[in-house]
Amino acid sequence: MMGQHKLSQKDFALKFLSVLFTAVLFIAGCDRQPSDANSLDIVLQHRLNAKVQTLDPADIGDVISDAVAEEIFECLYQYHYLKRPYQLIPQLAEDMPQVSEDRLSYTIRIKKGVYFSDDACFENGKGKELKAGDFVYAWKRIANVKSLSKNWWIFDGKIAGLDEFRAYTKGCKSRGEVDYSRAVEGLQTPDDYTLVIKLKKPWPQITYLLAHLPTAAIAKETEDYYGKDIISHPVGTGPFKLKVWNRGSFIEMVKNTNYRTVLYPSQGDADDSVKGLLRDAGKPLPFCDRIVWRIVTEDQPRWLMFLQGDIDITSIPKDNFGQAIAPGIELTADMKERNIKLATFREPDTFWVGFNMEDPVLGKNKPLRLAISCAIDRQKWIELFFNGRGDVAYGFIPPIMPGYDPNIKTFSKTEYNPEKAKVLLRQAKDLHGGELGILKLSMPGTDTTYRQMGQFLQTAFLNIGLQVEAEYLDWPSYLEKLRTKGVQMYSSGWIADYPDVENFMQVFYSKTSPWPNSSNYCNAEFDKIYEMASVMPDSNERTELYRQAERIVVEDAPCAFMFHRVFYVMHHEWIENFKPNSYKSDSFGYGLSKYYRIDAAKRAAYQKKYK
Amino acid sequence: MSDIDKIISSKLPKGRSLWQDGLRRLWKRKLAMICFAVILIYFLLAGFIYAAELFHWHVGPIQWQEEVGRQYESPGWKHVFGTDIFGQSVLRKMLYGAKISITVALCASIISIVIGVPLGAIAGYFRGVTDEIIVWVYSTLSSIPYILLILAFAVVLRDKALFGYKLTGITTVYLAIGLTSWVGICRLIRGEVIKHKNREYVMAAQSYGCSNSRIIFRHLLPNVFHLVIIDFSLRFVSFIHAEVILSFLGLGEATRPSWGAMINDARIELSRGVWWQMAAATAAIFFISLALNIFGDALRDSLDPKLRIQ
Repeated sequence: MMGQHKLSQKDFALKFLSVLFTAVLFIAGCDRQPSDANSLDIVLQHRLNAKVQTLDPADIGDVISDAVAEEIFECLYQYHYLKRPYQLIPQLAEDMPQVSEDRLSYTIRIKKGVYFSDDACFENGKGKELKAGDFVYAWKRIANVKSLSKNWWIFDGKIAGLDEFRAYTKGCKSRGEVDYSRAVEGLQTPDDYTLVIKLKKPWPQITYLLAHLPTAAIAKETEDYYGKDIISHPVGTGPFKLKVWNRGSFIEMVKNTNYRTVLYPSQGDADDSVKGLLRDAGKPLPFCDRIVWRIVTEDQPRWLMFLQGDIDITSIPKDNFGQAIAPGIELTADMKERNIKLATFREPDTFWVGFNMEDPVLGKNKPLRLAISCAIDRQKWIELFFNGRGDVAYGFIPPIMPGYDPNIKTFSKTEYNPEKAKVLLRQAKDLHGGELGILKLSMPGTDTTYRQMGQFLQTAFLNIGLQVEAEYLDWPSYLEKLRTKGVQMYSSGWIADYPDVENFMQVFYSKTSPWPNSSNYCNAEFDKIYEMASVMPDSNERTELYRQAERIVVEDAPCAFMFHRVFYVMHHEWIENFKPNSYKSDSFGYGLSKYYRIDAAKRAAYQKKYK
Repeated sequence: MSDIDKIISSKLPKGRSLWQDGLRRLWKRKLAMICFAVILIYFLLAGFIYAAELFHWHVGPIQWQEEVGRQYESPGWKHVFGTDIFGQSVLRKMLYGAKISITVALCASIISIVIGVPLGAIAGYFRGVTDEIIVWVYSTLSSIPYILLILAFAVVLRDKALFGYKLTGITTVYLAIGLTSWVGICRLIRGEVIKHKNREYVMAAQSYGCSNSRIIFRHLLPNVFHLVIIDFSLRFVSFIHAEVILSFLGLGEATRPSWGAMINDARIELSRGVWWQMAAATAAIFFISLALNIFGDALRDSLDPKLRIQ
């Protein structure tokens, strides 16, 4: 009997352990998958090509986190979904700001009846109503030195009293010690639904920045409740709220039940109606119940998932371009058969090979800089590395930006002419007083594509008789090198944050050296124009000043302008209302998911056929 | 020599040293000799590329940057291994890669031998506190996963200056590999020295009043050095692999073609059906790995004193 008893105990222990093991596996398994795929919810399937770092708007400094957080948080203003050129319209603001005559005071009325999503941080778990003070709090958080926000550049030196508030936070011991009730002269709330912003000097770009995610409204209760963990507990007023964030794997969002009534736009561009983009006009948003972002860092799995219908929208990996796009920029027969749609759009960006103007060899040797510029076959560069998806850049203003100079080509130094480059190089050597030695080119990445890009440039320079050594740095080391003026030549670029050339001009303004003015370019005439134009409201006169400034930069050649990107985005036919937005880049979401309607039946039929 | 001595010595069979005997047996192994020839070809190729670069000879492998055809031309009579994204010859890049791999493996082997052998001999000979310190250091190093340790060293060393010489690409790679892989040889030599320490020839040297350093370097090390050679031949392969892994991860040679970098490039090209760059680099690694492994085994068998007695 004893023996039997012992055996049954052992048996029980084994059974218990196996049940426990199965339960652990089950729980772990549950956590690894988004919610039940067979439920009747309409799910939008996005993908991300890197991990999300944070979901705290004040802390966000990368496009991936931004793209996800924009579904949760809202700003005072937003871009009209359909109208081009891009036009700002109110989001949480009632209307566009009332600007004082001296352009130093902005009065903004806030929408009433807007609620934060329900969360444990609020009383009884019910989301509180949005007040003007939530914006003031959010912006003070950005100013707080202790919160280490990456977005202080937005307000730096612009709002009356905010710099002083920042100075005060420097004296605080921790971020919890900062007194947010401390008054800031330039941020006033006469009542709960009115926000008055007082500026130190005119800042016409402010409305664009008020549509920029870091300026979104945040409830103080969230930080009080979650503390530093606020980065993984986003609570906003947007159409969706976070359900699961499985770092490195997926993010799942569900509809925010407190979301106010927001309607799909009734007006758009002339051809939007023909394209079927106005079919949902006047209907309440969002159209889907859940969003799932899968984090897929490698191009190939992402592409295969798209072809299987597990991802709804994607960009085209360089090495699958031939599979997707036939000559003449149209979809291949295979893609057409799958009813996959293609959308192309231009990004407001410019890429260049920059020269450190403080470098003893390059800085004072314009013929050398021009020789380098003439040595690069930009068309081939675009063909090799971007499958032809790009336009040659003649200046820093991208063609899609208001203010683009159609005549810039006549002033530009951008040309591919190796013979001219060789002549210029001889002049450069004479000016230098002998051999130039080996120049150094810093590339902002270590992967294959950057290595091939570096090799392409090296070969181009070698063809004209100029020896250049390429160094491949990871992104933080590269930034550090730019910030310490440690580079000689570097591959770089700028993507506009908002549709105003002023954003690009910062890159060449002497007072922003060494970042973002990494070429450490300094031209008194340019600086004067920048200081004048940056505080002017939009006008023909300002556009003319922008163009003058661009011509000065082009003439001085502190960089060899390379190209502007063209984006190709593919999406399945079950995504309706898809219209790309140049300022809310390609296929990651960026707060545009609320406009997408999904035909689940079409997706199911596709997956049955191709999966 | 007296007449009697002459008679005795003429009657005695002619003796062969351990080395002579070992090499004799090695020579009889045909497969091992073929592998040795393959290894020699790789070494000669690397040496030839060094010479070509030094004397500016215009030969294929050092002109790997030249565009010889269109982008991604498949292998054929004109281009045996096809062309890459820039229309450069994959064959030339593969041949040039031999220089990088052989240099890295050779330098890393020398570094690890220079560190590992004396440390092992000192630890084994002196024992006591010296031994404990050395054993502790190598035990700590060997407790860290090898590839992670190399990666850490490579990241730390990259772009740093050492005695005024800036560490870049290939130098970083062989330093990182060499500085992290001396543990195996150190452990081996330590064990062997402990074994030899009480042999008669060491005791005789001690009784003659030889200094410790003389005993270690003139008496002990020559007697255990065959192990270093065997270890070198086997370790050489793993160093070639380590270079490939580092280059594949973007921490190796970035400005010139290496087999690891070629495989890294080919990884994304495979999806568009460009297999030849991967095939060329893999074949180059395969043949030297196979040859070194077979030759290393044969060398061990030939130099093993126990086998000699049998």
